[in-house]
Amino acid sequence: MAVQSDVIDDAGPYDRAKALSAFKLGDVTFYWITRLSAISVLLILGGIIISLIVGAFPAIKEYGLSFLWTQRWAPSADPPVLGALGPMYGTLVTSFIAMLIAIPVGLGIAIFLTELCPQWLRRPIGMAVELLAGIPSIIYGMWGFFVLGPFLANTFQPFMISIFDGVPVLGAIFAGPPSYLSLFNAALILAIMVLPFITSISVDVFKTVPPVLKEAAYGVGCTTWEVVRSVVIPYTRVGIIGGVMLALGRALGETMAVTFIIGNSFRISSSIFAPGTTISAAIASEFAESDGLHQSGLILLGLLLFVLTFFVLAAARLMLMRLETKAGK
Amino acid sequence: MSEMSVSVSAPSVHPGSQPLPEAPAKVTARNLNFYYGEHHALKNINLALGTNRVTAFIGPSGCGKSTLLRIFNRMYDLYPGQRATGQLLLDHTNILDPKLDLNLLRARVGMVFQKPTPFPMTIYENIAFGIRLYEKISKSEMDGRVEKALRGGALWNEVKDKLNASGLSLSGGQQQRLCIARTVAVRPEVILFDEPCSALDPISTAKVEELIQELSENYTIAIVTHNMQQAARVSDKTAFMYLGELIEFDDTSKIFTSPTDRRTQDYITGRFG
Repeated sequence: MAVQSDVIDDAGPYDRAKALSAFKLGDVTFYWITRLSAISVLLILGGIIISLIVGAFPAIKEYGLSFLWTQRWAPSADPPVLGALGPMYGTLVTSFIAMLIAIPVGLGIAIFLTELCPQWLRRPIGMAVELLAGIPSIIYGMWGFFVLGPFLANTFQPFMISIFDGVPVLGAIFAGPPSYLSLFNAALILAIMVLPFITSISVDVFKTVPPVLKEAAYGVGCTTWEVVRSVVIPYTRVGIIGGVMLALGRALGETMAVTFIIGNSFRISSSIFAPGTTISAAIASEFAESDGLHQSGLILLGLLLFVLTFFVLAAARLMLMRLETKAGK
Repeated sequence: MSEMSVSVSAPSVHPGSQPLPEAPAKVTARNLNFYYGEHHALKNINLALGTNRVTAFIGPSGCGKSTLLRIFNRMYDLYPGQRATGQLLLDHTNILDPKLDLNLLRARVGMVFQKPTPFPMTIYENIAFGIRLYEKISKSEMDGRVEKALRGGALWNEVKDKLNASGLSLSGGQQQRLCIARTVAVRPEVILFDEPCSALDPISTAKVEELIQELSENYTIAIVTHNMQQAARVSDKTAFMYLGELIEFDDTSKIFTSPTDRRTQDYITGRFG
């Protein structure tokens, strides 16, 4: 009883209220430190957006919305004529082709690693995939420029061009002449660069499928392919799409490797074997020697990339939500 | 229902149940051995599952009863390092034949697991999925088969208005009956139950047990259970296993009233296990 009254009275040798208030100070400090950390993200994001808008303002005032659908890019004309259509087209097309290649291959590797691969081969392949993610993008750029570009221009490109010659639509997409520097080469390099993202995330989520669920599917007589298609992939759909979104974000913004091999042409060609440019490649190759309206135009391009990435990722998230409602979860 | 009563006396066999006449063997094991790598998990198992009979497997954890069940449909084949030797026949088919088509075997020998395992799709699709693996049938025919399977799983009345809801939206007991319906839909000959009620509440358990009894009219059933009353209630024959050996295999009424082996006696009266 005596002990209890001590606590209530705040008297005695052990002052509980005081001890508690000391803890409370720690709690409050902790709360504010974490809160400030979280707020700083918003501040940094806001700061970047504001400085982009401020930097891009002269170009916005000069070109307005026509910036979006002007293809001509002539910074040395007087007054300079600037349009973002070429780089926007290049960004979307290279990312699209890159995902077209990287998603099936990346998922394929992940399925092989988790479902089919003999134990001894698992580590080497898994490690190779992780190492692929560790290669700096400048190395990809140089390799694409000196090795992959010439190889594609001498083999794959002439082959595709001759096959689809005269076919409507496809003939225009795979039109000549072959080139070391092209949208397709850039897309292929991008595909290789984002592959590890898709693979390693898919491997991780595939491992979350309960073994008993897979056994149940094998138990009704499924083949491995049927188990993967009907149970493993639907079960892990959300995680896979997350990995794909991460990869897409990287592909949209990748700069160095693409700048090396895309050819920096602002003209839009129907052929994916023709040189092109992306937003980030255009900024990287011109920013150092730009000034005035030209520089402002490049900053506006950067702002566009920001918005573009935001919308692509938002669309992906929306799709995800729709999938989840459809699955009745 | 409670496990408590086990410690007092052996569970009573359902009243009036006379041992059924000896049925022709559906699955026959002769000198069956099983290894997890080096570990010798099953030793010289000899037994036969009677056609359209329920055979229960009881024994303490780790005695190899689930392992035995997983040999019947070669589920162990999914994992490297596990192998079986000896002879195991399904009618006249050698189950252990390495060249055997496993998908076909698993269509003939269905399995229901400890935890409900609905696939991540709608209730309808959960059933239609298995059927589609083997047969190409029209939509209306499929509707009929799905309904029949769900009726077979004693689930039709509860789900007929929400066939397009996710299989995961059902309660645990319903999910388990969905899994049974899914197994039945493929028209197997043998159904293996691996502790099918251990994750279910008593009411769901009673439903599943009733279902097992009904299914035994058309299917050969093997059930692994930790619940001895359950074995007594649903099975015609009971096998008691201990440390990888088949200790005693006889009519259920005999096992639970006058077991011949001392260890069986000790286990069913709750003296160990």
